[in-house]
Amino acid sequence: MNLAKIFISAFLIDNIVLMRFIALCPFIGMSVDVPKSFGMGLAVTFVMVMATIVTWPLYHFVLIPLRIGFLQILVFILVIATLVQLVEFFLKKQVPSLYGSMGIYLPLITTNCAILAVTFDNITRGFNLVESVVYAVGVAAGFLLSMVLLAGIRERVRTSPIPEFLKGTPMLFAATSLLAVAFMGFAGLVK
Amino acid sequence: MSAILITLGFSAILAFALGLALGVFKNIFHVEQDPRVAQVRDALPGVNCGGCGFPGCDGYAAAVAAGAAPVDKCAPGGKSVVEILAGIMGVSASSEEVVAVLRCQGSKEKASLKGNYVGIPTCRAAKLSAGGTKTCAWGCMGYGDCTLVCKFDALHMGDDGLPHVNYENCTGCGMCVAECPQGLFALVPKERKGSIVLCQNRSVVKPSVAKACKVGCIKCEICVKNCPEKCITMENGIPVTDYTKCTSCGVCVAKCPTKCYKMLEDGVIRFAPAKTEPEKTEEPAPVA
Repeated sequence: MNLAKIFISAFLIDNIVLMRFIALCPFIGMSVDVPKSFGMGLAVTFVMVMATIVTWPLYHFVLIPLRIGFLQILVFILVIATLVQLVEFFLKKQVPSLYGSMGIYLPLITTNCAILAVTFDNITRGFNLVESVVYAVGVAAGFLLSMVLLAGIRERVRTSPIPEFLKGTPMLFAATSLLAVAFMGFAGLVK
Repeated sequence: MSAILITLGFSAILAFALGLALGVFKNIFHVEQDPRVAQVRDALPGVNCGGCGFPGCDGYAAAVAAGAAPVDKCAPGGKSVVEILAGIMGVSASSEEVVAVLRCQGSKEKASLKGNYVGIPTCRAAKLSAGGTKTCAWGCMGYGDCTLVCKFDALHMGDDGLPHVNYENCTGCGMCVAECPQGLFALVPKERKGSIVLCQNRSVVKPSVAKACKVGCIKCEICVKNCPEKCITMENGIPVTDYTKCTSCGVCVAKCPTKCYKMLEDGVIRFAPAKTEPEKTEEPAPVA
């Protein structure tokens, strides 16, 4: 029950892009079409879960006993960046097909703010490891959902008559804000 | 004190361990790359100008090696690089070296301003906010956006308010062509001979052109009527020379009442220590 609550609130209510306005750069940059945004969303999911699995034990079993919890920003960034790089090497060699569909997005999210935000959330919210992983999956699913939604909107926008001053990024931010307003309707879904 | 030592020690150990891990893994999971990528990359000049349309020389090298891009896209490299790339890729390629030519002679003295522009001093801003600073809506505004994008030190603003191309350095990468909001630059083969009109004013109203600029094309079509080879035609209000027929006879240059016609080989593309774009301007090399 508690896990479901964590997932739903991370997925919809506190949607990382539309409610917390984190990770707007890949959100705007990579939502060109639906397949691309889907690939990016999957890559983010993968990295987010990996980062959580690595940073949570690192914080609780290394940083805390050494009493250097204040180093978490430095350590997390280093570890996540290295981890993503290692995964990229591995995929390139062992699973070239997966690398072809997902690998090109990996360097883009090495130290993406959403990844870092999730790892910090796991610590500040006092989750245990299982809860942290569920939370990471929830946040990533929320990111994927909003990416695909915006990509769908963009495909419609491309063929619509838009006032000259709104063309390009302004139109995307207008669409994003409307999406965010729509997501406010999820507040109160979980007590 | 111990906290500082622990911090330093931990950071050093972590960085070393991660670096080592990356190095080891890179060897374990080494992927054979097409050796031609490295060869092509080595042959390219490495200035990352982006003139080829790819993200830097690395991007272009990968595309060439994959057969996704033609070998003659590297303008800064010129003929020699094209030949090397063609050799690596086993294709034949012919290329012409091109250079940029500014098609405007509206210097400070010759073209009038329509007002006193005090906005952001870039051509693009002036064009967006005021539609240009000169009475001629097609003319060079002289804020030097083109000189900022040139990576080869080939464009400099002259005292006359126009950019001057140093043809010793120009590689024909085309960055200035893309940057100029007026579209005044044209890429012209280095070896081309013939006449060119250095004006882009499309207005067909003769008094309006004459008022705006002393060296503007007033659409009199004397060049069209007098060309012995019949190689000049009016296209969208600008006379255009057909270089397959032009014999560089110079009739159009001589007859042009506003002197906006020039010979490419005589005064436009000039390879001399004193670089010049339109006819005069640059002071001659100082005589000892």
